[in-house]
Amino acid sequence: MDYSASFAISASGMAVEKLRLDVTAANLANMHSSAATPDQLYRPLRVVSQEAPLEFARQFDELYAVAGGGAQVVGVEPLNVAPRLVHEPGHPHADARGFVSYPGINHTSEMVNLMTALRAYEANVVAMNAAKVMAARALEIGGQ
Amino acid sequence: MVIEAIAASDAVFGADKLLATAQQPQAAAGFGNWFAGELNAVNDKLISADSDMQKLAVGEAQSLHEVMINLEEARLSFQLLVQVRNRLLEAYQEVMRMQV
Repeated sequence: MDYSASFAISASGMAVEKLRLDVTAANLANMHSSAATPDQLYRPLRVVSQEAPLEFARQFDELYAVAGGGAQVVGVEPLNVAPRLVHEPGHPHADARGFVSYPGINHTSEMVNLMTALRAYEANVVAMNAAKVMAARALEIGGQ
Repeated sequence: MVIEAIAASDAVFGADKLLATAQQPQAAAGFGNWFAGELNAVNDKLISADSDMQKLAVGEAQSLHEVMINLEEARLSFQLLVQVRNRLLEAYQEVMRMQV
């Protein structure tokens, strides 16, 4: 496995974590978005990612290399959570009983997701830097 | 490796002297071509890293980390080129210092 392969693995992890951060930010931004009908209500999203398989040609070359080729995003799925009901009779989106439904976003878990994505991104950067330092040390072989 | 070198000298002093001298300039041209190709590849990487930086400055870049990784790859390939050049110059100077 050449040194750019480890860069690509770290880059795929960084891309996944970046999307996770974006989706969490979208959830937080739509925390107070109400809708006229329950169908139009924003539903909190989650990024589903899984291990990316190596493409066939490289699998053939690298039977002894690491099993995976990084991470990939499978999809961004809406969560099936009940809406949060708030009693606001004057609101334009209030129903017959005076309740407005807001997305059932868990603020705490979204903040935890945010920090986890940030730390995982940092870890990917550290792994990439380690690969870079390793390549730079290899270039020092035989130098004065 | 030492044994191969001895075998090669045997071939030069032996009956295949003409063949060996005929192969030598071809090998030199091969290395020159290879080195020029690598030089072009490194240059292409540097140019693409430069255009990535311009895209980032304009605001067209999709992801920051891709640009940074491209920059690092360009830097590493340039450092590899510099190391190869250092070895070449060392070998050349070694040959020039040789007492004849």
